[in-house]
Order: sequence, then structure tokens, then C-alpha cells
Amino acid sequence: MLLESPRGEPGLPAPGHQQDERLLVEAAQADPRRFAALYDLHFERIYAYVARRVGSRAEAEDLTSDVFHQALANLQRFEWRGAPFAAWLYRIAANAIADHWRRTAREQGNPTAGEPSATSDTGLEEFELRARLFRLVGELPADQQRVVEMRFVEGKSIREMALELGRTEGAIKQLQFRALGNLRAHE
Amino acid sequence: MAEQTRIEQLDLAVQALLDRPEAPLPAPADAELAALVRLAADLRDLPGTGFKARLKTDLQRRAEMASKPVPVPKPAPAATPYLCVRDAAAAIEFYKKAFGAIELGRLVQPDGKIPHAEIQVGGATIMLADELPEYGFDSPQSLGGSPMKVHLFFDDVDALVQQAVAAGAKITRPVKDEFYGHREGQLCDPFGYTWIVSTQKEALTFAEIERRFNALMQQEGTPPAAKRPVREGFHTVTPYLVVDRPAEFLAFIKQAFGAEETFRAPGSAGGTHVELRIGDSMIMAGGAPGHPAAPVAIHLYVPDADSVYHRAIAAGAASFYEPMDMPYGDREGGVKDGFGNNWYIATHKATGHLREGLRTVTPTLHPRGADSLMDFLKRGLGAEEESCERLPDGTIAHASVRIGDSVLEIGEARGPIEPTTAMLLLYVPDVDAAYQRAVAAGGVSIELPANQPYGERRAGVKDSHGNSWYFSAPIARAAK
Repeated sequence: MLLESPRGEPGLPAPGHQQDERLLVEAAQADPRRFAALYDLHFERIYAYVARRVGSRAEAEDLTSDVFHQALANLQRFEWRGAPFAAWLYRIAANAIADHWRRTAREQGNPTAGEPSATSDTGLEEFELRARLFRLVGELPADQQRVVEMRFVEGKSIREMALELGRTEGAIKQLQFRALGNLRAHE
Repeated sequence: MAEQTRIEQLDLAVQALLDRPEAPLPAPADAELAALVRLAADLRDLPGTGFKARLKTDLQRRAEMASKPVPVPKPAPAATPYLCVRDAAAAIEFYKKAFGAIELGRLVQPDGKIPHAEIQVGGATIMLADELPEYGFDSPQSLGGSPMKVHLFFDDVDALVQQAVAAGAKITRPVKDEFYGHREGQLCDPFGYTWIVSTQKEALTFAEIERRFNALMQQEGTPPAAKRPVREGFHTVTPYLVVDRPAEFLAFIKQAFGAEETFRAPGSAGGTHVELRIGDSMIMAGGAPGHPAAPVAIHLYVPDADSVYHRAIAAGAASFYEPMDMPYGDREGGVKDGFGNNWYIATHKATGHLREGLRTVTPTLHPRGADSLMDFLKRGLGAEEESCERLPDGTIAHASVRIGDSVLEIGEARGPIEPTTAMLLLYVPDVDAAYQRAVAAGGVSIELPANQPYGERRAGVKDSHGNSWYFSAPIARAAK
């Protein structure tokens, strides 16, 4: 079964990755076209962090997009002082989320309202674990991956999926079960 | 629990948490199933693969737009050679081929000229630009060479030299092991720069190099004199008087000017080739009946202009002007020798003989349009202007230029002064380079560089005024 990530541990950067990551950051600072490597490394954790704090998938996508665009535009300002690049991205994300809620509150005529269930004291481990889970989905066999994406991202019913994939509803449910079982085994 | 049942139970729980995101998570009694439900709940925040890919594309497009070229690195603490070349674009290509240079970047003006470019050779930056005389950027091709040499280290100098020669460089000093620990050679590029190329074989202290040097000096006595490119007894420029009646001409100059024959041989184009000494100078003469003459004017300094003038008349020359005191401090008379040549016979009154800086024989050229000839002399032959006097109408009455250790004089052809189409021989350190420079300055090739049986390498070009310039150098003996 294809569950071994080619990078080894998906998600949390291992301590030895610091130097590698520093090189990636410096490369991207010299040439913004190299930013893609940083994006690949950090997309899941930032998305996980943002998605947990906003109400809808559309908002999560908008804000994640904002965070990475801001990071790209301000990359020259990032200085390597030992804190991982992810911490900088989390800070940008936190500010973007705060702005989002202030804006939403103003639009709703309630300028003092903030993020409804502020979870700023929550540790980042939760998002690291979730990012790891999201990466693991990418390692699933193609049919399981497709079922997970349709079910959880696209919100399709078992019936819709069966029709679209030309499988029985039972087969779809079985793929869903196997997929979750695989993710659990490697969690 | 049968697997079928577990599959169904899981799906029911998944459907519930998707339908009612705000409700508490379904918690099946089966612990394993409950863990899967918790995973399923987390997967509600799973990012779409389509979104991830789209955002990446967006970011890449943005990065592409924002992408500035890699900033020029802060220069290392080193002196960076800045080369001015005629045709920087060609030079960059040449250095790529010859030295494996990497181009770091170039600026290009609307007229195509490159006012600045940077290349890297073995990690060292070299800057270069097209010659832009208006900014004081002159190339070796305009200046007649460069005294500056650039030293480069390579891992394998022998291979490098092969590569450079294949690209068009010329070896001016073959590669060999040197006492200072380098295996080293010297190359000349087509743009007029000299490169010392080395591979370090031994890392030596300066003290050790000095010790070896002193030992060598003791062994060899004095250091060998640098090989003079000019043939013994000659100077850089020697006029070659081509006449159609050589025997009569030789009799004339011997009688008139006391010329002393030092060498005679059959000419390479038939006829006779003769070398003669007059005072401290050498001239060559040759030709054959029917051979087109190459008339020249000779400014001849003698201790007594009047008596030499009269001797020349007695030997058959026609008077051009009687000896008189000239405003420039010379007593001078002129004769036409009957073979097409003018002789300006002078005594500098202050010295009683030579004017400072001149020799017995100074070739004088009378072109129509002296300015364009001056330009060719400077660009094509590396001549340096020493003086230039103009008539009120702007034409050049008298100019002098220095080439190597010799002086040439130039005066516009006018009135009784008929245009000359002289032939001159130049001893140069590098025949091929001199030839290329002259051709680059508009000279027309009349003889490709080739080794001659008499032990010299020779090449020839003709300028637009009809003067022929032959470059010559002794052929280096092969090392034994």
C-alpha cells in the first residue's frame, strides 16, 4: 500500500529540516519563483489553522489565499532568527483571521464583536496533526483519495458518488471505510 | 461485528456529521469505529486538491510578475578587471568558448552597443564593455594594445589552453612549469588582451619563491633580455622603396646619400631585394623593370643639408626646392630622385644634425585626405599622434605619429607635392594581431599572415590611400 510519504514524516518539520528550510527561504527571497517549494511545505498547516477558525470552506480558501499572497509579497521582510518559517506564516494567518472577523462584524453592524470562539490559546499541535492527516490523504490509493475528496470536500452523497464513479453504493461505502482505516493506521 | 455492519455504521456517522456540523460528534460504542469518526470529522476541513493547485498557480504567476532578476551579488573584496573591447558581444561569446565563462548579465543600448556586461570565469568576475570613445572607453584595438595582463587560475591549464586556442586565442608563451610553482602559459585574445593562465602545482611562500628566483639568477647571470621583436639593426618602421629600375636607384642613393648596402637577395616578387644603411637608419629597396613603383618621401637628417642636397643633384636628382632656413629651425632642401621619391634633406640647426626624436631616415606620407590616413594609423597600427599642424583650411600641413620606436610624418598632398603610395615594413611583436587590428581598422588584406623562408612571419594590408603595410616578426625558434 502506497502510504509511505517520500519525505518520510509529512506534517511537522523535523529538527534537521531547519537548515534545509532556511535554504528554501533564502532561495525564495533571492528569486520569488522559488516560493512554490515553501508553499508545498506549509499549505496544509495554514489551511488547517484557517479552516478551523472560519465558518465556511469559501472563507477558508479566501483567507488561506490571502495568507500566502501576503507571505510572498513580504518575503523580504522575513528574517531568519531561529523561529521556523511556519511560525511566521501562522502569525500572518492569525492577523488575517482577526481582520476577517473585524470586517465581518462591521458589515453586520457590530464593530466590537470579534472572532466568535477565539481559540488563540490553543496550541498549534492540533493544526500540525491535522496538516499531517491532510497530507496522508494525498498518499492514499487513487480511488480512496477520490472518495475522500468527493465526500468531505465536495460534500457529495454516497448515491451521487456511486453514479459519478460508476460503482455500487456499497463499493463506495467500502472505499470510504478503507480510506479512513488507512488514515487511522498511519495517523 | 461483521465488517459489512461496520462499513454501514461508519457511513451513517459520517453522513450525520456532514449533515449537522454543529451537533456533537456521533460516538459509536466501538472504540475503533469512534476513532474513524473523529478522523472523518477532521476531514471536513480537508482542503480541496483543486484549490491547492489553483492557489499555487496564482502564487507562481504573482511571483513571476514580482520576480526581479537575482540581485547582483555584493562584490567580493577583489580588484575586478574591466575590459574595453571592440564588439563586446563577440568578446563575451569568445570568453565563453575559450575560458568557459558564464555570462552574468549585459546592458544593451538602442544602437546595440554594450556599455556594461559581467562574466564569470572560474568564480572570478570580469567586467567588460564596448569601446565608447566619447566616454573615454578605448579598446586595445584602438590604442594599439594593452599593457595590462589578466591572470587566471584553472584546474588544468593545458586543457584550458587547448580550448582557448580552438576558440581563437593565440599562444604567446607556451605552457610550462615555472619555478614559482605554477604550470603556466600566456594567451592573446582576438580583442587585444593578454591572459596569463596557470595551474598551481606547488603552494609556495613568497620567501621560497624568492629563494628559487635568486638561485636561478645566480645560475643564469643576468635575466635574459626580453626578445626584441625588431630585427637587429632595424627599427619598428622601415620604408621599402619599390622602384622599376633598381640597379640605377641603388647607384643613386649610394652616391647621393652614402647609403651602404648590407644585404642583397632575389626579391620574393622577383627582381632584387636590397637592404641599405643610411646613417643610423635602414631602408629596403627592390623592384623590377615594369614593377609598379611605391613612391614615398623621406625626411633625411644629415650633418650638412647643403652639401648633401648638391650631391643628390649631382647624382641625378631634380631640385624640388633649394636649401633654406625653415621656420621650424631646420635648414632644408628638397629633391626628386627620378624614381618617384621625394627627399627632404635637413639639418636641425640647434643640434647641427638630427632633430630630437628623429633618425636619419623618417618616412613621410602625402595622402589626399590626411585625416583619414591619420585615423587608420592610429586605429589600425596603434600610432600615437605626436604633433599636428593644420593649414587655415583645416588640412594637415604636417603631422607626426610614433609607431613603436619610429616616427612617421604626414602631410596633405597638394600642389607640387604628389600623393605617395608608400610601402612600409613594421616589426611587431605579434604579426597576426597587428594584421587583424589593421584589417579591423579598414585595411585590405594583401597578404595573410604566413611564415617566410627567411625566418620571419609576415602579413600585409593596404590602407585606403594605397599605402602597403607589411608586418613582420622573427619566427620563434622551437624549444629544444
